[in-house]
Amino acid sequence: MSNPAQAVEASSAEEEPSAEEDTPSSLDGGAVERLSEGAPSWLSERRQHAWSVFEDTPLPSTRSEEWRYTDVSRLLKFADLRVAPDGASGEEGTRPAGLTAAMDEDEAAAGHTVVVDGSVVHVDLDPALEQQGVILTSLRAAVHEHGDLLEEWLGTEILPPEDGKFQALNAALWSDGVLLYVPPNVKLDLPIRTTRWISHSGSAVFTRTLIVAEPGSQVSYVEELLSEDFDQRTLASSAVEIIARDGAQVQYVCIQRLGRGVFCQSAQRTLAHRDSKLDTLNVSLGASVTRLDLNARLLGPGAHSELLGLYFGDEDQHFDHCTSQDHIAPDTGSDLLYKGALDDRAQSAFRGMIRVHRGAQRTDAYQTNRNLLLSDDCRANSLPNLEIEADDVKCSHGATVGQLDSEALFYLLSRGLSRHQAERLVVLGFLGEVMARLPLGGVVKKVTRAIERKLKNG
Amino acid sequence: MSDTPILTITGLRAKVADEDLEILTGLDLEIRPGEVHTIMGPNGSGKSTLAKVLAGHPEYEVTEGEIVFKGQSILEMEPNERALAGMFLAFQYPTEIPGVSIANFLRTALQARLEDGEEVDLFDFQDELMDRMKLLDMDPSFAERPVNDGFSGGEKKRNEILQMAVLRPSLALMDETDSGLDIDALQIVANGVNTLREENPEMAILLITHYQRMLNYIKPDAVHVMVGGRIVRSGGPEVALELEEQGYADWKEKEEEQEEVVTA
Repeated sequence: MSNPAQAVEASSAEEEPSAEEDTPSSLDGGAVERLSEGAPSWLSERRQHAWSVFEDTPLPSTRSEEWRYTDVSRLLKFADLRVAPDGASGEEGTRPAGLTAAMDEDEAAAGHTVVVDGSVVHVDLDPALEQQGVILTSLRAAVHEHGDLLEEWLGTEILPPEDGKFQALNAALWSDGVLLYVPPNVKLDLPIRTTRWISHSGSAVFTRTLIVAEPGSQVSYVEELLSEDFDQRTLASSAVEIIARDGAQVQYVCIQRLGRGVFCQSAQRTLAHRDSKLDTLNVSLGASVTRLDLNARLLGPGAHSELLGLYFGDEDQHFDHCTSQDHIAPDTGSDLLYKGALDDRAQSAFRGMIRVHRGAQRTDAYQTNRNLLLSDDCRANSLPNLEIEADDVKCSHGATVGQLDSEALFYLLSRGLSRHQAERLVVLGFLGEVMARLPLGGVVKKVTRAIERKLKNG
Repeated sequence: MSDTPILTITGLRAKVADEDLEILTGLDLEIRPGEVHTIMGPNGSGKSTLAKVLAGHPEYEVTEGEIVFKGQSILEMEPNERALAGMFLAFQYPTEIPGVSIANFLRTALQARLEDGEEVDLFDFQDELMDRMKLLDMDPSFAERPVNDGFSGGEKKRNEILQMAVLRPSLALMDETDSGLDIDALQIVANGVNTLREENPEMAILLITHYQRMLNYIKPDAVHVMVGGRIVRSGGPEVALELEEQGYADWKEKEEEQEEVVTA
């Protein structure tokens, strides 16, 4: 466990080199059928249903409020994408350097999974945790070994295909993913780490993550998305479903460092039951286009969720973060903080919604989006929203878009810092506030390094 | 001490960059290494502007005259180039830099003074910083606080002198460092400055103040009275004492007379 990167090398050596590469196939009904081969009927039916929803759902249009700032018709052509070849059939000893380098930076973990081109190629878990009933496995394996768990949770009403065109496509075409199950009252001291890699330009990769934390359990999950830069538009689609049962504590962190050329689409749903604490941190640094739909639901009294996010864009990067905090039960709390820094011609959109449902009295819900503009050509749009159907609540929302303060810049320059060094300090200071709220082992260091690398390239 | 001035200002005129508002109206000043010069003057006389113009604040534009620092004109130099050349401005109103710790800020500032490829030794830096904070009677926890964020007025001023102590300038411009300090804090700050002078007898100081009291602790070699954007009188420490007794009324009247002459 001390050197997961080596563990990856070792496991890859055991694999059979594949005799032939899968022929890349289009995103069509045939792909759904191939994925359904040998699958239990509940799963094939869900895939077929999702595919029909995909076909019946029009492409998101900028005329709709939710997609006002991201023109899918211009940014992505489904017809040009090919299903990624099975990552598990990769050749011996060919783990990409970028993947191993990222894992080498990781601090200690209770377990790892490695996902290449949408296929889980490595899993390890602390045997002591395995004995306590913790399950960390690929969804492919889980379909057979933990079918009941998947049938109960995966792609059900938590994240149904009806949620949108991308959600439907993912539900129809997901190739693999990660299942993490933590039994009642089991507490993990160290995080579970997942590293995801995409290696084919022009491919479409569909993965899912399902985390079920039973009552009184405690777990944190950190995943990192990586790839090289691609010439052709490449789709990284993920669906994340997280359930914290009564009194569970769950932290989910996603560090997105995909290469340019990638359209990164992610749908995340978190369900926080009574007295649970379910926090998320989304770090968006890479990809050409990033679209995140995050919905946090507070289902039981005493539940609390923090929704944290940071993004740092340069060149022509485009970020679109769409969040909602659904307070369904009374006495629940949520606190959102998304901060972004933009340089060059980068653009961002933040659209946040706090919904306090009827009867959700004594809700405390907050939402803050702050943006720091470093150039004259970048642009940040921020649309905070409230919908309140209860009368005894504390809610606030706020958004700011600001330039790098000229007095602050002069102050730093007057101490001998170059403009570049000054910007670096200010950006890290600005974004660091978000990371300080979820100080998981190694995350701050890793993200800081990634931001610094980006600043250096500028 | 060397006879070659470290700073020579001749006929300096400066205005607010986007406006036709002239603030420095022909200022001359010469400071030699190791000297302490004080500039006193009423509000609006241009004292702080002089400090900012010397440091290279983009808000001001030099329209005439020359500033020579260490034998070199600095008019075309960026603020950071002036700092690297040995100039330091202790701000009257230090700026808040949220999320950036004092330690990180100062480490980066020291790093900026090194050649490419050289790195600040973290342990040496930590020792030095703690030592300097002790000199200024600052709690070690200060090092991890974000620069000036939520600081009291006195803490901000002390933080300016801490930076000066770590960065070891050859010319320190102290813009009303004494305002906002109670008498105990003033003594600590002044003692800190005097310690720096003992360590580096070549360090020159341009001290801008409204009050004589700072000069009880930091003895000036020269006192200049600034009115209407230029120096109207220069002398020894006795000038400060005169001002304390008589105020600037005489000088202001003279200035008004002058202005009338100009407008007539």
